[in-house]
Amino acid sequence: MILSTVVFLPILFALIITLWPQKSSLKPIALGFSLAHFIFSLILFQSFDPSTAQLQLVERHMWIPKFGIQYFLALDGISFWLILLTTFLAPLILLASWKSIEEKVRGFLVCFFVLQTAMLGSFLAFDAILFYIFWELSLIPMYFIVGIWGGSRRIYATVKFFIYTMAGSVLMLVAIIYMMYLTQQAFGQMSSSLLDFYKLNIPFIGNEFFSMQTLLFFAFALAFAIKVPLFPLHTWLPDAHVEAPTPGSVVLAGVMLKMGTFCYIRWVLPLFPEASEYWSWIFVLLGVIGIIYGALVAMVQPDIKKLVAYSSVSHMGYIIIGLFAMNHQGLQGGLYQMLNHGISTGALFILIGMIYERTHSREISQYGGLASVLPNFTIFFFIITLSSIAVPLTNGFVGEFLILLGVYKYSPWSAGFAATGVVLGAAYMLWMFKRVFYGEKGPLVADEKHPLMDLNLREVFVLVPFVVMVFWMGIFPNTFLKFSEASVDYLVKNKSSYQLTVKGEQ
Amino acid sequence: MNFTIDMGDVLLISPMIALFLSSLVPLTIKVLKGNAEQAPIATLTQALLGIIAAAGLLVSFGGGGNTAFNGVLAFDGITLTTGLIALAAAAGSLILMFENPATRGVQFSELVFLTLSSVLGMLILISALDLLMIFIGLEMMSLSLYIMIGMSHEQRLSKESAFKYFVLGSLASAIFLFGISFIFGSSGQTNILQLLDTTVQLVQTNRLFLFGLVLVVVGFCFKVSVAPFHAWTPDVYQGAPTPHTAFMATAVKVVSFAAFLRIIALRPLVASESLFDILQWLAVITMLVGNTAAILQNNLKRMLAYSSISHSGYLLVGLLTAGISDNGSFAASSVIFYLFAYSLMTVGAFALVSMMEKTEDHTMEVDDLAGFAKKRPALAMCFAIFMLSFAGMPPSIGFFSKFYLFNAAVGEGLIWLAVWGVLNSVISVYYYLRPVVVMYMKEGEADVSHAGHFATAFMIIVTAALTLLLGVVSGPLLAWFESSLI
Repeated sequence: MILSTVVFLPILFALIITLWPQKSSLKPIALGFSLAHFIFSLILFQSFDPSTAQLQLVERHMWIPKFGIQYFLALDGISFWLILLTTFLAPLILLASWKSIEEKVRGFLVCFFVLQTAMLGSFLAFDAILFYIFWELSLIPMYFIVGIWGGSRRIYATVKFFIYTMAGSVLMLVAIIYMMYLTQQAFGQMSSSLLDFYKLNIPFIGNEFFSMQTLLFFAFALAFAIKVPLFPLHTWLPDAHVEAPTPGSVVLAGVMLKMGTFCYIRWVLPLFPEASEYWSWIFVLLGVIGIIYGALVAMVQPDIKKLVAYSSVSHMGYIIIGLFAMNHQGLQGGLYQMLNHGISTGALFILIGMIYERTHSREISQYGGLASVLPNFTIFFFIITLSSIAVPLTNGFVGEFLILLGVYKYSPWSAGFAATGVVLGAAYMLWMFKRVFYGEKGPLVADEKHPLMDLNLREVFVLVPFVVMVFWMGIFPNTFLKFSEASVDYLVKNKSSYQLTVKGEQ
Repeated sequence: MNFTIDMGDVLLISPMIALFLSSLVPLTIKVLKGNAEQAPIATLTQALLGIIAAAGLLVSFGGGGNTAFNGVLAFDGITLTTGLIALAAAAGSLILMFENPATRGVQFSELVFLTLSSVLGMLILISALDLLMIFIGLEMMSLSLYIMIGMSHEQRLSKESAFKYFVLGSLASAIFLFGISFIFGSSGQTNILQLLDTTVQLVQTNRLFLFGLVLVVVGFCFKVSVAPFHAWTPDVYQGAPTPHTAFMATAVKVVSFAAFLRIIALRPLVASESLFDILQWLAVITMLVGNTAAILQNNLKRMLAYSSISHSGYLLVGLLTAGISDNGSFAASSVIFYLFAYSLMTVGAFALVSMMEKTEDHTMEVDDLAGFAKKRPALAMCFAIFMLSFAGMPPSIGFFSKFYLFNAAVGEGLIWLAVWGVLNSVISVYYYLRPVVVMYMKEGEADVSHAGHFATAFMIIVTAALTLLLGVVSGPLLAWFESSLI
């Protein structure tokens, strides 16, 4: 019941908030709920055994017997940290959006909590249809968050986001249905359980695009590539990020993008091992292009938020090449980089939101000399910038180092090109930092009538956990890596015959 | 031939008798009161009681697979399930008629009489096993509808739409009848049970029989608005009073598809590959036409009309699957489940449109919804649920109905039709999201009716809740449809 509680507690919160009579106390209540949820999710540390790759805390019930559709939740080393990332970010996001969401607070909180459930569900679901339901459900609250509380071009951005993502995932639905019929052929009973899918031997013919495994592989990979987003399918992301309100951007960058990369490990690599290996060059190539392209485009953005959005494209490229290198370092690095990106980009969006609340502008050229006015803000921003450009002792370094190590084993050339992205990343982030925080005071900063206020206590409370995580993950990476060690090891060693068993059975 | 009517037959058709008698009650009262209308709520109650009685009798006596009157009427699973859906949809539409400005007030008893006669025609249509009985049911249903639409208080559009519907509907009936004559001429039979054994062979050997069958299929394509026979749908749906549109889009469509299913169950698609090819292209074209045209519409009812056309396309995919599968009951039950889900959402969506109309001449534009979410948050949420469910977003019933339909299609190897179907649902997201965007994200004063409309509002909330909840527990429902079809 632990996992069900983790997944559905937010829905319960959403219901209570819908019916809560008092409008003024909604935000504290929601914050309390999300904190309680986070603390509850810490139980996982106690009940999770990191020494095995088997599924743990399994909940399995038949849901629609005719199709073998189950209610099937389980936890393993791959999803462990993502669950905690999701619950960890929630209270911070709510605290950060204290001032930025003023209208229709109730609706916002309901959307936010439904989104939590959808994201947690898609990380934990081990049934294809259950997974698909959570996966698609996550679109609806995000669509409302961007569309109602977003910026001036919010409608364009949100409809684009919705249709783009849905277009990818419907083909996955057909692929899922097809695989359900494959299980019927293979085992006599239709099933949509991922464990049964893993057992399938789907014929693979290299060189031929219209062969079964290749088509299924691309149907899944396309859905996830759009979510990641992989170059050239990334165009919805800058729009959505720029128009979304701060909490929307943080959830999007912090957790939702990880749904895509996570599903590569959970679904694509183990289900279609031959196809993933055969076509991995496409993904590594697109990943490398995304790294360099994202960095170059970020460099010329006049809008800070757009700059960070393109830096996301670049960072997600790293994760993809790490995963498709398909060795131990690459996968561990990819998983680690998912957490890093959640922490550092999430924090960057929160910081941008804070400065936007003060000046209502995100134009880099309007700033300059901010460091002398807001010293504390500058310190926090600088630490997160260092994390984002992967300076040693910060979390980013560990992830990128492992990924480059893994990719070097796969193809030294790709690693070489990807490494230029590290340099470019440092270039655009530091250049942006210089333009915003140093030099001549810009018009917004110099405005005598509206002096800018440095961070208040609430904002410090939001940022301190991020900074703690940055250094913790940078200095003691093993605390985190050991949880996914067994699962990743098992995946790398049993790539072509990946099967998971439930802990305690057999 | 034996012409005795025994008690069993009477019991089987008792739902029809109940409907017929209850349709007369309001009229008789009106006559006895010297042509003075009784309180509309009384009329509505009598009509709803009649429908409930018919549904009860249908459940108790129908559905057993019996035939009545020498195999002319069948009371099997199709009759039972689609009959119940049609009766429920008719009850919903009656509630809308009770409160809609274009239909309430004077002549309400006549309207109720016509509605119930139309439903009676529907029951005949879905239980008919004889092509001529199908024709009689079809005509009885349609003729009542023509008058119902023409009776609207709205003066211009509804008259035009009644006339258009009449002319095109008659054309479809003529084509259908023409087809029957060819079938009769070449096989000597009009009874589906007897044709069942010979169709496959006749289709392959007898060109005239195939010709007749194609005409029958075309007649049905007209009725269920499959492209390119769909052109009447947007005009009629827009012009008719909203309750009647809801009635046409749900009950009429459900029963037409049920009868279509009986024709398809003759398995002509197995026998004639070219017929199958044509129909699968029609399905693709219908989905594309419906969805792309709906994107361009500003009038809410017109948009829903095109969306209804696109749903005919999805349903045709299901029908094709049922037509070629050896074990037709899963495919057929997925079609009926889809019809059920579609009717639920459509009644709800049109109920909302009906509720927002201020006068009989007021037709809703999509932009009229601006600010609606602020004014009536609960109802706006219901409307958003309908729209997202139409688009097939989980966990609503719309997702599950599409899932079952495409699951059946993939199971029969029609993967490319399933791919067309899901791609079309992506196109449809664009226009289904538009009302949601306008309601929630645009500022406005939502210039809509302030009248109470309590029954309609209640109905909207119930259908929205069912749309959301029945999806999650759809397994048993589908199993029930399937078990009743065997």
